[in-house]
Amino acid sequence: MAQYRTQVKIIADVLCTARDMNTEGNGVGITMLLRKGNLSYSRMSKLVFELVGSGLLEEMRAEKVARYKISPKGIEFLFAYNHFEEFTQSFGLRL
Amino acid sequence: MALEGPIAVFADLLQFVGAFVAFSIAYVSLRGLRETESPTLLRLATAFVFLAFGFVVQGLVGLGTEAIIPGIAAFATTMLISGLLLETTGYFFLAFSHVMDVAMSKKMGLALMVFPIVTVSGVQVSDILRFLSFYFIMYGVVETLYSYGKTHRPDTLIIAAGMVLIALGGLVEWLSILESTLIALPLVQILMKEIGLLILFIPVLKFTFGRKEIWDGAI
Repeated sequence: MAQYRTQVKIIADVLCTARDMNTEGNGVGITMLLRKGNLSYSRMSKLVFELVGSGLLEEMRAEKVARYKISPKGIEFLFAYNHFEEFTQSFGLRL
Repeated sequence: MALEGPIAVFADLLQFVGAFVAFSIAYVSLRGLRETESPTLLRLATAFVFLAFGFVVQGLVGLGTEAIIPGIAAFATTMLISGLLLETTGYFFLAFSHVMDVAMSKKMGLALMVFPIVTVSGVQVSDILRFLSFYFIMYGVVETLYSYGKTHRPDTLIIAAGMVLIALGGLVEWLSILESTLIALPLVQILMKEIGLLILFIPVLKFTFGRKEIWDGAI
């Protein structure tokens, strides 16, 4: 049976994609985030807008195309996420 | 039969050890809540804050009954029920965390939260609260074991073992009420509960040292 992802898990997945797929240093496009994030376009757009607003993602604009890379604050979030995920899993729960 | 003398004081002091463990878990959960804004950690923190205050109140009542802290003995019954109510609320939030997790993952364990029908007429409030605590902690045990079945994480199994000890402590407490001639039972009960709580402290220790190692590595 399929499992729902929590909102925190979805955010962590998007940030991981922005970190791991940014191999050339010029960020990742929304298409890549959609492919890896497994969300609808409207939901991903809203989420990316929120993540940029909260400083977890950085937006880079080149030739009218938006690309995104993880910010230092986003890296800190992923670090905290990994630690607290382990903590909650000890109690048999999901972060 | 209730404990008396130095053993009773020892049992009361153990309540404060339990409170320390519960506050530590609540503190780590609150830190996690601040850093990740996860609702799971909010529920976990709420559960352990209630448990910690419950243990503190029960410890104070015990010390008051032993005349170590003056002025409490007069309100002992009210305070004891308040302490038990806080503890039960804590276990409720622990069970509620699992209910929310179950609801999120669409698995069928939610049926376990269907409340058993019990006759409560003539039963004292403190006994009802103890029964509710036992029920909530057992629900937590079942869900934690279910989670272990999926993840096979040793930590999860250890936590389940700790929760089983806390639940068994509750059973021994009932037994001590029924079999009042066995004076060791109340001490066994409190020891089981405290060992169970100390086992729950393991993730806090792992979290503290694990986080430090990674930060040290990064530096």
